[in-house]
Amino acid sequence: MIEVEDLVYEYPTARALKGVSLTVPDQTITALVGPNGAGKTTLLRCLAALEDPYSGKVIIDGRDTTHSPREIHARMGYLPDFYGLYDDLTVRRCLTYAARSHSIAAAATPEAVAKAAQRVGLADRMESKAGELSRGLRQRLAIGQSIVHEPQVLLLDEPAAGLDPQARRDLSALLIALRDGGMTLVVSSHILAELEDYCTEMIIIENGLIAGGKAIKVRDDDRPRYLIELATARSDLKDFLIAHGADVSEADQNHAVIVFTRNQAARAKLVRDLVTAGFDIASFGESSKALEGAYFAQVGHKA
Amino acid sequence: MNPEFERNVWLELTSRRVLLMVGLLALIFAASALANDDWGPSSVATGLYYVLVVIWGSRSAALSVVGEIGARTWDSQRLSSLGAGTMMWGKLFGATIYNWFGGAICLAVILVHEVIKGGASVAVLDLFYYVGIGVISQAAALLASLIAIGRGQGHSRFEVFAYQLVGLGAGVAVWWVWDKVRSHTVDTILWWGQPLDASAFLLGSLLIFAAWTLIGCYREMRLELKMRNGPLVWLAFLVFIGVYVAGFDAWLSPDMKTWDAGSLRLLLAGPTYGVLTYMMVLLEPKDRVHYRWMEGQIRHGHVANALNGVQSWMMSYAGTVVIGGLLFFWLLHDVRAALVGQPLVLAALGFLTRDVSLFVLMQTLPGKRRGDFGALAILFALYALIPWILTSLNATSLLFLFFPQLPSPTFVGAVAAWVQGIAVAGFALTRLALTEKGQPVPA
Repeated sequence: MIEVEDLVYEYPTARALKGVSLTVPDQTITALVGPNGAGKTTLLRCLAALEDPYSGKVIIDGRDTTHSPREIHARMGYLPDFYGLYDDLTVRRCLTYAARSHSIAAAATPEAVAKAAQRVGLADRMESKAGELSRGLRQRLAIGQSIVHEPQVLLLDEPAAGLDPQARRDLSALLIALRDGGMTLVVSSHILAELEDYCTEMIIIENGLIAGGKAIKVRDDDRPRYLIELATARSDLKDFLIAHGADVSEADQNHAVIVFTRNQAARAKLVRDLVTAGFDIASFGESSKALEGAYFAQVGHKA
Repeated sequence: MNPEFERNVWLELTSRRVLLMVGLLALIFAASALANDDWGPSSVATGLYYVLVVIWGSRSAALSVVGEIGARTWDSQRLSSLGAGTMMWGKLFGATIYNWFGGAICLAVILVHEVIKGGASVAVLDLFYYVGIGVISQAAALLASLIAIGRGQGHSRFEVFAYQLVGLGAGVAVWWVWDKVRSHTVDTILWWGQPLDASAFLLGSLLIFAAWTLIGCYREMRLELKMRNGPLVWLAFLVFIGVYVAGFDAWLSPDMKTWDAGSLRLLLAGPTYGVLTYMMVLLEPKDRVHYRWMEGQIRHGHVANALNGVQSWMMSYAGTVVIGGLLFFWLLHDVRAALVGQPLVLAALGFLTRDVSLFVLMQTLPGKRRGDFGALAILFALYALIPWILTSLNATSLLFLFFPQLPSPTFVGAVAAWVQGIAVAGFALTRLALTEKGQPVPA
């Protein structure tokens, strides 16, 4: 769905993106992470055809952002980090304007508006003015505006910033529902915890480059990440796990994070082998911080 | 309906605001009708129309995009699928719809008065004028704001006021032309040697310049929506303005009557292009990244891509050089004119090269946001302050170093101008390369 080839973006005195290449598959939620100033927003704006690359290509659904920016805009939704809304318009009018400005015919607009409102949970607030909504609801309205035209790609820049825990949970559910409905999502954030719930892929931007050179699969239903903790330190833990077919993301004498098959028999055998080999296992379970683990495995602990 | 226009109508024409406008205007007209003084409802309506549509309307138009940037809604609009034309018309008439609503009430009062006083034909002409002055002033303010946005300027009140002033300036120009037409102070205008009816010529000119203003808005809107413009429209404008201005050769000073018509016409077109070059190099963003990109495209043989990125000031500069070259050779068959004209033409082109390079160079130095002010300050020193000092010191023989003069021998002036031009241009080019921590970054 999204192909980026050797993308370079320059400011007058600095190169913000230094040859970024990546692929974002269909119907995935990809996290775009990295420290502040790494180039996340610049990359997102290039993907949204809001900035012209200095060189390289951004292809969205087969269209080049440089040659067909308006065609791409018609197929894309974008939620900037500060989503401006027309406070004096009602939810219905905000969504109606978004629909009409994305070339939805007047006759089809009420249905599109109703569907978008339903998806973001604002169907019962259609006549409320945007300025009267809470922050969480305003964010939902902004997402509603971004998806009213059923875009194939949705880009979100720091969507959970400033949201309370309930609103964040609602956001996760909404993004997963959009992905399941066929959209490809790219979510930029520097807070890993908020991406943990819904991202399947991760792109780490660091100093204008993609760390590791490609997207990392952080959630694989067939091969999840497991955390093993030892009660007694053993220096050979990593070698033992590798020898038994595990992909070790990180390890020290006391713990290891591995990628391993979900197959129950295989997992049981690994635990059995560990115990037989004298490893004093305190815990063995699926890692709840898959994304964070993958991030630090890639960039080290310098962040 | 145009979605952008419709959205503006929702925001601007709320029932409360509509009632407020109608109520206030009704009260004002009633008061002016009841007061037995010189200010009848028609005069009051005329004044109010100018306030509502021209003065306030220019501000509304200037804010139509700048306000969206301030409210952080512009990126969402840029990501819509609205075309540049739809967006432009929606902004131009949508953001000003409240002004037009009030203006329409005033206009009704004015036209009723005109029909009673002068008949329907006068009223129709007045309608044409009042709508025209409103559209042109608002379009000029919108154009100014879009150009400023392209330069990456902010949206402070002062800046919005500056865009509004551009609109007011255009309004004053329209008013001046209309005043000339109605008062019949000039019956004929000599253009390209032909006597033309002054009213028709002025109104025609007004319409054409209004069309160019709207085309300018459309092109700037295209840039905002990430569409590329290409060079053809600006080239067409250069041809138009060159032909238009060259037609006024009969208006030149009697001292120049010894020059033939061809020289005089080139003499009119050349400085016009020069002025456009200065204007556009000041107004357009001088983006190092863009210039580097153009250089890269040319280096890799993608000349068509590079041409699509050519800025208006570059085309105007090239046009000035072409016209200057034509004038230089045209003067060859008039020895007396050539003695004076040729060195001055060459020197003027040299100084133009120096000055536009200075604008580019100043954008490459630290603190570039004030680069244009820096360039203007240096030019003020070069063209006014230093010559003033030299004149005070009776060193006028050195003035040729600062602006086109005829020193002895005459070619020295042109040489001095071109040495400066090439030096500043060369320095500016070396400053365009990307350096990070003092080291060039390989492409």
